[in-house]
Amino acid sequence: MKKSTAYLNGVRVALPVILGYLPVAIAFAVMASEAGFSRLEIIAMSTLVFAGASQIMAVGMIATGASMLSVVVATFVLNLRHFIMGSYIMKRLGKTSTIEKLTTANGITDEAFAIIGTTEDEKCSVPYLFGIITVTYGSWVVGTALGAFVSMLIPASLSDALGIALYALFISLLVPKIKRSAHLITLVIFTALLNAVLGLIIPSSWAIIASCLIGALVGVFFVPDEDDASKETEVAK
Amino acid sequence: MNFLLLSVFMMLVTFIPRILPGFLLDKVRLGPRATKFLNLIPYTAMASLIFPGVLSVDVERIWIGALGAIIAIVLSLFKKIPTAVVVIASVLALVGIYAII
Repeated sequence: MKKSTAYLNGVRVALPVILGYLPVAIAFAVMASEAGFSRLEIIAMSTLVFAGASQIMAVGMIATGASMLSVVVATFVLNLRHFIMGSYIMKRLGKTSTIEKLTTANGITDEAFAIIGTTEDEKCSVPYLFGIITVTYGSWVVGTALGAFVSMLIPASLSDALGIALYALFISLLVPKIKRSAHLITLVIFTALLNAVLGLIIPSSWAIIASCLIGALVGVFFVPDEDDASKETEVAK
Repeated sequence: MNFLLLSVFMMLVTFIPRILPGFLLDKVRLGPRATKFLNLIPYTAMASLIFPGVLSVDVERIWIGALGAIIAIVLSLFKKIPTAVVVIASVLALVGIYAII
């Protein structure tokens, strides 16, 4: 397959992600602006970090007075999952050059992973991944810029309602993956409640990290191997 | 806090797990327990991120966040409804609720 065809295939398959990213990017920009970020700082964060969940978490934590260290540690823990996703993507791509590894690394997101995971082998290639990243990264940065510039034009009712956008995104990613396993549902509820309880004794930013790690540790022994729906992302083969 | 510096640190810690697989994949073998632990992190991380944070969407009326979460959960149970629609529908539902209260 020609490289340009593969690239355009990647662009086309990623187009629906724009619809998911725009409201979340705008919500991020509005929240960041309320937390005291300037427009430059808002756009810089999206351009540099390109990890929506951790960016919204970061501005949420900052709004409640968290320290820089706790935000950075929470970001690291939250984005550890990219290690698994990146391993899977790299395995699907086969041999890649150092330049290709370096340039695609920052485009490894939940969405790119989900798309690659549902693509046939003959279509999977570095240009295809570049096509996906062009759309996902582009819409994330453009959506953030849009949000940063229109944040004061957004009526209060919409900006309040936008606060639910990221939670709705998390829920819609989480629910389909756990709904078939009573063990995973129990683990998720256990972790959420643990987080709420820990949040009463330690700062909520650290409670998130602690409950996430304790929950996963409990899950290693509690969740049966066959319920682990992300098995296909397994590294060790 | 310097937000630009924060962004740079966040980029670095996000870049580590993103870049390592490409270079380590052939050299490192994770044991089954470590793999399972990492596989479970997305579930537990999202659980911790959703609750109780979702209740503070509106700190004065915690039922608004709870209602938004329930709407998102119900919509997510339908296989045919894409993520984007769940997000937009949840936002619009809350816009509607703010319009009537």
